[in-house]
Amino acid sequence: MLQGALAGLAAGGLYAVLAVCLTLMSRLVRVVNFAQSATGMFGCYVAVFLSVDLGLPMWLATIAGILLGGLLSALLGWIVSTWLAEADTGTRSAVTVAVLLLLISLSFILFGNKPQPFHPILDGPALTVGGVVISQVTVVTVALAVLVAVASRIVLSRTPAGVQLRALSERPTTAELLGIPAKRLSIAVWAVTGVVSTLVISIVAPSQSNDATSLAMLVVPASAAALLGGFRRLDLAVAGGLGLGLIQGAAAQVDGLSVVRYFLPFAVIVALLLWSQRKEVWDAAR
Amino acid sequence: MKPARRIVALSAAVLLATAGCAGAESGSSGPIVVGSVNALSGAATFPEASQAAKAVFDAANASGGVNGRQIQYKALDDKGDPAAAAAAAREVVGRDEAVALVGSSSLIECEINNKYYEQQKILSIQGIGVDPACFTSPNIAPANVGPYHDMTLTLLYGSETLKLNDICALLEIAGNTLPSYQAAIDEWSAITGKKLKYLDATVPYGGSDYTSYIVKARNAGCKAITVNPVEPDSIGQLKAAAAQGWNDVTWLLLTSVYSENYAKAITNAGAGVYVPAEFYPFTDSTSPQNKDWRELMTKNNIPLTSFSQGGYLAAKYFLEVAKGISGDVTRESVTKALREMKPITDPMVGTPYVFGPGQTHHDNTAGWPIKLASGTNKWELVANDWLRIPKK
Repeated sequence: MLQGALAGLAAGGLYAVLAVCLTLMSRLVRVVNFAQSATGMFGCYVAVFLSVDLGLPMWLATIAGILLGGLLSALLGWIVSTWLAEADTGTRSAVTVAVLLLLISLSFILFGNKPQPFHPILDGPALTVGGVVISQVTVVTVALAVLVAVASRIVLSRTPAGVQLRALSERPTTAELLGIPAKRLSIAVWAVTGVVSTLVISIVAPSQSNDATSLAMLVVPASAAALLGGFRRLDLAVAGGLGLGLIQGAAAQVDGLSVVRYFLPFAVIVALLLWSQRKEVWDAAR
Repeated sequence: MKPARRIVALSAAVLLATAGCAGAESGSSGPIVVGSVNALSGAATFPEASQAAKAVFDAANASGGVNGRQIQYKALDDKGDPAAAAAAAREVVGRDEAVALVGSSSLIECEINNKYYEQQKILSIQGIGVDPACFTSPNIAPANVGPYHDMTLTLLYGSETLKLNDICALLEIAGNTLPSYQAAIDEWSAITGKKLKYLDATVPYGGSDYTSYIVKARNAGCKAITVNPVEPDSIGQLKAAAAQGWNDVTWLLLTSVYSENYAKAITNAGAGVYVPAEFYPFTDSTSPQNKDWRELMTKNNIPLTSFSQGGYLAAKYFLEVAKGISGDVTRESVTKALREMKPITDPMVGTPYVFGPGQTHHDNTAGWPIKLASGTNKWELVANDWLRIPKK
């Protein structure tokens, strides 16, 4: 059980990083970005294309892919903040669903639906705990999740830009009247989360299934993790991601539970929603 | 997905309703219509089988056709969707009045359409049969070995040639395939008297991280793992093992991972990936066995894959039988000829092909062992002859 749980940590770290990105997006720019992992996937695929077909060195291609992920995300942010500046969260998020589907289709068209020959950036085991090998990827993703969460926290609470961002998310109109450059800041948030999610997917993709659909759909467990923090709290998002990974890994070790394992993110989402909405009355909640 | 399903179902119903009023006249002078139902779009696609069949028919048409008549080949898409698969079959069999189905390759088509083919008294030489119904229906006889015999072969190779004990099975089960895989494993047990160390049939399709399954297998003491994976999943499983530093595990896989793409994606293959290729290995580029096929595929820009081998063979078998028909080439005469045909031997397969009068068609029982070793990124042949499932 414990060994299985530790084996699930790599996935957990990945969920956690994506959950932090989702939480940031929801807090700062009022979007649940369904295309969060799809932009990462697309950036990685382009990186593979650059290194395999154009013969760029591995590191250069990876960096180019990560930048492209950030650019894609920034472009999407520009679209949303230009035409849907005043729209509600639901509408803004709906746009990202379209982008998710677009990116999956586009990667099928451009790169085919066969898995890509990724070359691992990190490969092999890092240390052994209780008979389970903890891979380098696991160490890096978990560290990255904590790092991104802590860094975001510091930026939001200690820097002028962070204060402006918070003002924007709390009272967008007031902030704009005060002369805070709303659009630029929003796009910056989009770009940063795009870069971070492409980075983490670049690290993880070579060591797991990496077809377009499974990478793009990582947003589901990430959403479940972000929901633990109500899409507001970064620390709970990290905990949720790591926890979900641990539970999934442990469930795979028990024959009776391994069927359930695949529906876990959905089960978690439903349970959290039921719990968080438990005091809502029909009329008031609608 | 629900509304989309409904739309597909609705359009299928409309198609069916209109199909009745649009019968194409296929007299004895017009073209001979041959159909196929394929996974051309959807989650998993293999367009090569029908492309290869079409290339064979085009070449035959260029040299005069069958008994002076041209072959009109219609490859339809099943979109990986049951309703679309049913509609496609009815379009080509009912409306276009095909004489036979040749070179189909799909994940679901046999299951959905086998009863319909029986009703319509039409036979299908499947290019690549995957689901169990392809091998258990009276009117379908695939050109390929199929994943179930392939599973028996890969286990035989692992236990008898590589002398591996402690083989574990991780099965990815879609639909109703578990009993067929179980039967394949039981067949191996009956031949060798050996048992699997354990079988886990809960491995998910399209999983993102297989580490926990790999850890479980390693802790159970498995020396070799047999899987029935699709390419991306297998890559994920091998990478999970590599990340765990498990470098002495042998992988006994199926033809589903036999591709150049897969070889490129795998740097660490543990103690090796072994596959009994269902057709003579296409990566052996100088082989006389594949020469004609290779030339035809290259000329038509069709990818060199197992799928295109299956489609090519299905079309060749059909042509050989059709050319031997004296009189009119109709659905009745083609069906009769296939039922009564003599076995056709081809160097690309280890078992002669015969449709025959059987209630099931699962007679192709030979694979050619190939290996992908760590760090080579290339498939290589590891045998000089076909590996066969011993006759009971």
